[in-house]
Amino acid sequence: MKKLQWTRLFSQLGFLGLANLGAMGIKTGFCFPFFYCHGCPYASGACPLGTLEHGLYKGHIVGQFLLFPLFILGSICMIFGRAACGWMCPIGLLQRATAPLAKKMEKYSFFKKMGDSFNEKYVRYAKYFVLSILVFLTTALVGFMFTDICPVGFLTGTIPLLILHPTSFTPNAFFPIALIIFILFIFLIVLVGRGWCRYLCPLGALMAPFNKISVIHVDVDRDKCIECMACVKICPMKIKVLDMYRDPECILCGKCIQICPTAAIKYKVTG
Amino acid sequence: MKKKLVGQIIIIVILMGSLGNMLVTTDVYDDVLDRIVTVICLSCVKLEPRTRLDFTFDTATGETHPQFVLENLSEGLVFLHYRTDVCAACDDMEPVLRDVFNVSYDITEEFYKTIIFGDTNVTFIHINLDHTSENKKNSFHIYDKDNINGVPMFTIVTLGYDSAFVKPYYATGYGFLGQDNPDDAGLVIMDMIDDASTIYHQNREGYTP
Repeated sequence: MKKLQWTRLFSQLGFLGLANLGAMGIKTGFCFPFFYCHGCPYASGACPLGTLEHGLYKGHIVGQFLLFPLFILGSICMIFGRAACGWMCPIGLLQRATAPLAKKMEKYSFFKKMGDSFNEKYVRYAKYFVLSILVFLTTALVGFMFTDICPVGFLTGTIPLLILHPTSFTPNAFFPIALIIFILFIFLIVLVGRGWCRYLCPLGALMAPFNKISVIHVDVDRDKCIECMACVKICPMKIKVLDMYRDPECILCGKCIQICPTAAIKYKVTG
Repeated sequence: MKKKLVGQIIIIVILMGSLGNMLVTTDVYDDVLDRIVTVICLSCVKLEPRTRLDFTFDTATGETHPQFVLENLSEGLVFLHYRTDVCAACDDMEPVLRDVFNVSYDITEEFYKTIIFGDTNVTFIHINLDHTSENKKNSFHIYDKDNINGVPMFTIVTLGYDSAFVKPYYATGYGFLGQDNPDDAGLVIMDMIDDASTIYHQNREGYTP
């Protein structure tokens, strides 16, 4: 693993540590710029989606809860685009850990097709559906829906609570449904590399458009490109890197930059 | 390229300026901390506390019982209902409480009413942690005997006999009070009131406020 990827790993571990500063009694009123549940007993901040949901729960609009996470995410994403997914998010770290398994699954043609097909771009719109319908619309009209089934909340909130206080809690009526969705989530990330980020993550959907206007982005110099496709093969988001320009799916992980034999791919400031 | 960079910088300045302004001029930081990070919405984590409605003399924080509870305790039982604005289980329990206590109120208002159950007065106090005083917010931690830190939470305060003294004696329950649905939780609340009422009458004579 080259230096950039080590740096990214330390960054991901560092942000995982920061997200759990509650273990040292440090709780803040900030929203995370990544997916992590404030239901975690050690969480040091609030889930940005949870805060947004508080801002429109059952149609009661609370402007500050709507704007606060958007300003935090906007400030970060305007500079770094969707890099938070690749450099900060603990769920990104988890998917990095499951990536070798997903890679092995690619020997089965079904999963290879599922993960590699460029026609899958339509499936990627599912995350915008999750964001607009399950996070915004249903919360505003009927109450929590995404929260009740959120696999990230289950992983980083429910499970730690059960582990830390095994005798204090018992599953409620929603638990079995959430458990099934969590199992499907695990299957997804094991079978398809970065499956959660690519298809279903509503926070990724919120951040993705910023790639179009962010200061930092990944740039491909077509004059230098020899079309070896190494970047396409290594891209965890399965982007056709050599054709991309400010792709909303890019998480700025830098793997394509490292693998490119002609240094045609670079981080670029604006342009 | 310069034009684009200038545009990007303007947007960043607007976003960061708005964020900074919001942090300085509003209570958003404290609100997120108090209303989202600190208090768990139990239904959101898909868990129900294993409630044992045991009465105890010891408050969770070791502090004395709050004045607003003690003031009402000489007249009868005190039932405290804690919730937050955004809490599905709180919403589910709301009609049950209104039915049991025959009360009606706005969930954001601070509400109390004394109701007569048989021969016992019960003061019902509705506390929305998002719209209450520090004093009442602190009472939530005083009565959170299992350190669940979650809502909905229900506390009933009665009088008990402890080492020659009659003192406030309370039980706290959470969520659906160990039941599968709010209606069954309502029956548990009735049982809580019955038990607390019996203990209250046994000890009322010896109580000096």
